[in-house]
Amino acid sequence: MQALKIVITGSYAAGKTQLIRTISDIETISTDYEVTLDEERQLKRETTVALDFGTIAINEQVTLYLFGTPGQERFDFMWEHLTVGCLGYVVMVDSTRPGHFAETQRLMSRFAEITDAPYIVAANKQDDEAALPVSYVRRRLGVPLEIPVVPCVATDRPSVKGVLLSLLRYIAAQSQASDE
Amino acid sequence: MALEGTLQDMSLSDLFQIFRMGPKTGVLILASVAERGIIYVAAGKVIDAVLATSPGNRVQAAQEEAVIQMLLWDHASFVFRHDANVLNRSPRITQDGEWLVMEGMRRREDPARATPYQSITLDTKLQLSPLPSSAESGVSLDVNQWRILSQVSISPNLRTICEATGIEPAQAIRTVAELMAIGLVEVVIPTPAAKASTKSVAHDPVASMAPAVGSSDLAATASRMGADCGERPQVGRGLLEAIMRRIRGL
Repeated sequence: MQALKIVITGSYAAGKTQLIRTISDIETISTDYEVTLDEERQLKRETTVALDFGTIAINEQVTLYLFGTPGQERFDFMWEHLTVGCLGYVVMVDSTRPGHFAETQRLMSRFAEITDAPYIVAANKQDDEAALPVSYVRRRLGVPLEIPVVPCVATDRPSVKGVLLSLLRYIAAQSQASDE
Repeated sequence: MALEGTLQDMSLSDLFQIFRMGPKTGVLILASVAERGIIYVAAGKVIDAVLATSPGNRVQAAQEEAVIQMLLWDHASFVFRHDANVLNRSPRITQDGEWLVMEGMRRREDPARATPYQSITLDTKLQLSPLPSSAESGVSLDVNQWRILSQVSISPNLRTICEATGIEPAQAIRTVAELMAIGLVEVVIPTPAAKASTKSVAHDPVASMAPAVGSSDLAATASRMGADCGERPQVGRGLLEAIMRRIRGL
């Protein structure tokens, strides 16, 4: 049995848990606990203090595992464990919360130190009429042009499929480039 | 759902740019410590605005002047909500967003000399800017702007300019505001006594301010999976395509 892993990361309340719930074959295992900080409570009643976990069976021999990282920086010691051996990762960002962009940038820098796995950025909540456009999200986060920044609605299955397919296409392209 | 943040996360001029790119329609509400502002955006354009005290809801400024004053804020929270009803609202702001941002920048740089748009009257005395801003280079002026600019140094006030050029007073005031925003013209600062007589802000109350598995076990599993596969798993193109096919089929 081969197990492959994709990590879903992002700042607090970016939609990581929802994305995994939307696409997973199994009832996701989530370790959400009631939040303790007032600021966090305004956004979310419960938060992922450890990680979310979902699976997609590819065939009888291969299963794809989706791991969601805890959003808060105080749990960043978990990130190294999670990224070991991952195919790639998705950085999720809430397109309606520009106040979270700085935190997302710090998280992206930290992940770049931890792993050289390919990643893409998913600009979540693009179904909100007030959401910031994807091009703006790219510019604000300083994402290089070669890295995909894709629109995302974490509650919408086709949209989540699109995010994962974008990551896989990017991984394939990176793999091909390194072979040449 | 709404776009929310603070002006430290995202400036008002950045928001205007986002509204234009959308183009977005809705209501932007800003709240500072002592004031509250509402800006109405229709199809990406800023069409109306009001600035009021909070609490009290006494109007401090409206339309262009309200936006310009909000552009001077550094600390405020904002919420933008999509609202298609704004499309039915009559536009009360004639200047575009870029003009408003430029005027805001000008006031920020030189608040002592900057004059609110509404306070330009036919009795306003104008002068050419002694040191035009860098914005002058490359700027193209329309006919009315050229006509007024040509009269500034020889006319005692805007009324005389209107008489000399035949430009309607309302248009002349708008054009002077544009020339001020570009940095070519400035108002001769009135004496304190004259200032006291030019209170132009309405004081009507605002009608409505629109608006379980253990975590350590899972982490260990995740880590082990990586270890089993090595630092970076080598996945062949065939397997990647199989994964993509499976995801497409979900």
